Formats: sequence, C-alpha cells, structure tokens
Amino acid sequence: MKFKDYYEVLGVARNATIDEIKKAYRKLAHQYHPDVSKDPAGEAKFKEVGEAYATLKDAEKRAAYDELGRHPAGEEFKPPPNWAGNQGGQEYSFDEADFADLFAGFTKGRQNSQQQGRNRPIPGQDYELATNITLEDAYAGITVDLNFIVPEHDQQGQIKRVPHNIKARIPKGVTNGQKMLLRGKGGKGFHGGPDGNLYLNISFSPHKLFRVVDHDLFIDLPLTPWEAALGATVEVPTLAGAVHLKVPAGTNSGQKLRISKRGMPKNNLGDKTEHGDLFAVTQIVSPTTLSEKERELLQALALSSTFNPRTHFN
Amino acid sequence: MQMESTELIWLDEQHEVSMTELIELSGFTQEELLHLLEIGALSANNSTKTDFVPSELRFSSHCLISIRTLSRLKSDFELEQNALGLMLVFLERIRLLELQVQGLENAK
Repeated sequence: MKFKDYYEVLGVARNATIDEIKKAYRKLAHQYHPDVSKDPAGEAKFKEVGEAYATLKDAEKRAAYDELGRHPAGEEFKPPPNWAGNQGGQEYSFDEADFADLFAGFTKGRQNSQQQGRNRPIPGQDYELATNITLEDAYAGITVDLNFIVPEHDQQGQIKRVPHNIKARIPKGVTNGQKMLLRGKGGKGFHGGPDGNLYLNISFSPHKLFRVVDHDLFIDLPLTPWEAALGATVEVPTLAGAVHLKVPAGTNSGQKLRISKRGMPKNNLGDKTEHGDLFAVTQIVSPTTLSEKERELLQALALSSTFNPRTHFN
Repeated sequence: MQMESTELIWLDEQHEVSMTELIELSGFTQEELLHLLEIGALSANNSTKTDFVPSELRFSSHCLISIRTLSRLKSDFELEQNALGLMLVFLERIRLLELQVQGLENAK
C-alpha cells in the first residue's frame, strides 16, 4: 500500500490541535464536498480529506497513525508486524487492503476487543453507482450488469476487496437522471448488521435524433420552404417506428408539432402503460444550391409575392 | 464471483416508503424525521390528520434523494438539528430547479 500523509492532506502541522484540524477539515470540506462542489475532481479529493479527518480527529487513531512514523506521501509502505496487534488486540493481514482500510480495520479491531462477547451489529455501507443506457433501452427496458469492487470485513474482521456482479432489471419508464435503489446490495453487514444498499443513478446517452425531457421526446424536423408554406405530410421517425405527420400550411421555424403518445413510456403503477408525447420542432431549411428551374421559380415567386416578414421593423 | 440478480426500487413521486424504511435508508432517527415533518421541510403522503401514528406514515420514495444528501452533509459538516430543516428545503428546491434547467436545455 502507499503511505498517505494525513497532515499534509489537511494542510496542518503534525502537532496541530484538534481545533486546528477541525478548522482545516471544514475549509476543505466546503471546497471539495461532492454535494457542494462542482469540481469534477472534488469527490476524490473530499474522500482523501474525509479519510484524513476521520483518523486525526480521533485521539486513539491519531496516536496509532503517528506511531507509523513519517514517510513521503505515495511511498510503498507496510505497517510493522505488531502494529495492529498493539492497537486493536488482533493481527491483520493487509495484503489486500489500502491505506484507508488500515484505519477502518484498526477501528474494527478496537470494537472487537472492546465488545468481546457482545458483537454489536454493524450495518453495511451504502454505495452509489452510475449507469448509462441508450434511449432505445430505456424505451424497452433493459437488464444491466453492475460490476464493482468494495472492501468488506470477513468474519475474522479482516478486510478483503470483494468483486460484485449484479444483474439489475431496469424497467421501461425510467427517466434520464432517475435514481433507483437496490436494497441490501451494498456492503455486507457485520455481526448480523443489515447489508448496505446500492443506489443507482441512471442517465441516457445522447441520441442522434431525439432529446428527452421527462417522458416527452423532441426531434428537429427540417422542412423545405415550400413544405412550410404550402403544408405537407412528412415521415417522422419515432422509437416505435415511423409515423406520418401533417404539417399545416404557413408553418414557421421553431414551432412544435405534437405527436401524441409517441414519447417515452411512463412508470405507471397499473397494468396499462402510458406514454409521453413526441414534439417535432420545425426548422425551415433552404437549399444551398439551386437548379436553373428552381432559381427561375423562386425568382418568379419573389417578384409576385407581397409577403414581408419584417413589417414589425417599421 | 457470485452473480446476483435483483429488481430495482424506483425513487420517484409515485412509489412510497414507510417510516421504518425511511429511518433505515436515511440514517436519521424517527425523532429527527418527525422534527423535519413538524417544521414542514419533509412531508408525508398521509400526515394530514393531526393524530397520525408516526410508524404508519408513508413518504414518496423520491424524498430519499434529498434526505440522503442531507444525511451526508449532516455527518460531514457536523450540522446542528436546526440547520437541517432549512437545508432540506434548499436541497429540494435546488433539485427541482436543476431538473427544470435540464428540461429547458433539452427542449431547446
């Protein structure tokens, strides 16, 4: 494992008082807490800061940490053989643990020694995962494979990194940004404590045609100037196959034409599945090159038309 | 490696969790949750009566999103009880505003 200098992480001296440690932690927590900070690297940084604070605010843990001596941050490191035995009354193997586990293990060892015979139940930790699915998968529902590795205590109290593979069925009706809960699929409880939970954050991959808002879909619908002026029936793709849409005469750019019940399925509690709507947002597109015939016809139109879209300028 | 299969529980306005489940999932005590309810920061779907039984209260499962954030902030910033209600109101307002902004951006 690599050594972590918790004093350096918090930016305090090795002889800092508990108040100085708390003050430094609070300042960094405001800066990096994932629920507060917009910094994408904030979460990892906060984890390090939280880990340092959890160790240094506890007098016994701090003493155990100080006993490890001074090492450059990031240096390969292994605790002395009698370190955990002295602190927690129990020998540990740290082969599969990282530096953060070292002090979690120390606490666990201490709890074991303090509560021998009582074995107080300790609930498992909650975890949060993110998964990205396509719009098509969200429309039809999908089973996703969730693979993650979490530290767990075995019955001897030793920390192991345990891989998990969970198949989770995401039913149709899920929305972008939806959060879901898998009860009891987080970290294992200890001494009969309940297992933790797994929270799943679901997001949609960007789609080449559709944008999604709640259960409604939006698609840009390019129209020729003559389709917009004269009206037309055009084919519009949907997630359940193409439909014909009647574009009224005199349509302008940016108008939204609603195609009822062609949006995303809703998560109904009953048997019947309702759907959101699909909105076709019109865009009038002019040809970039014109044939001789097209040019003549448009010039004739320009000469004979009295339409002025800029009357409001006057 | 063992392969497990499971069903997901929706965290949305239609699905509910009981008081017992909310306590278990949020990390708050019943007293803390009742305090949040009393000051109006948290609302139960069936708390309109004044003589409700706390253990029978049911909440929309989406409240867990903000409640869990609140629980993390309480623990990480060592927040006091009085600040929690105010913070929960702001968290919920931010969550709804972010959804609105996302909706407006997508509908452009």
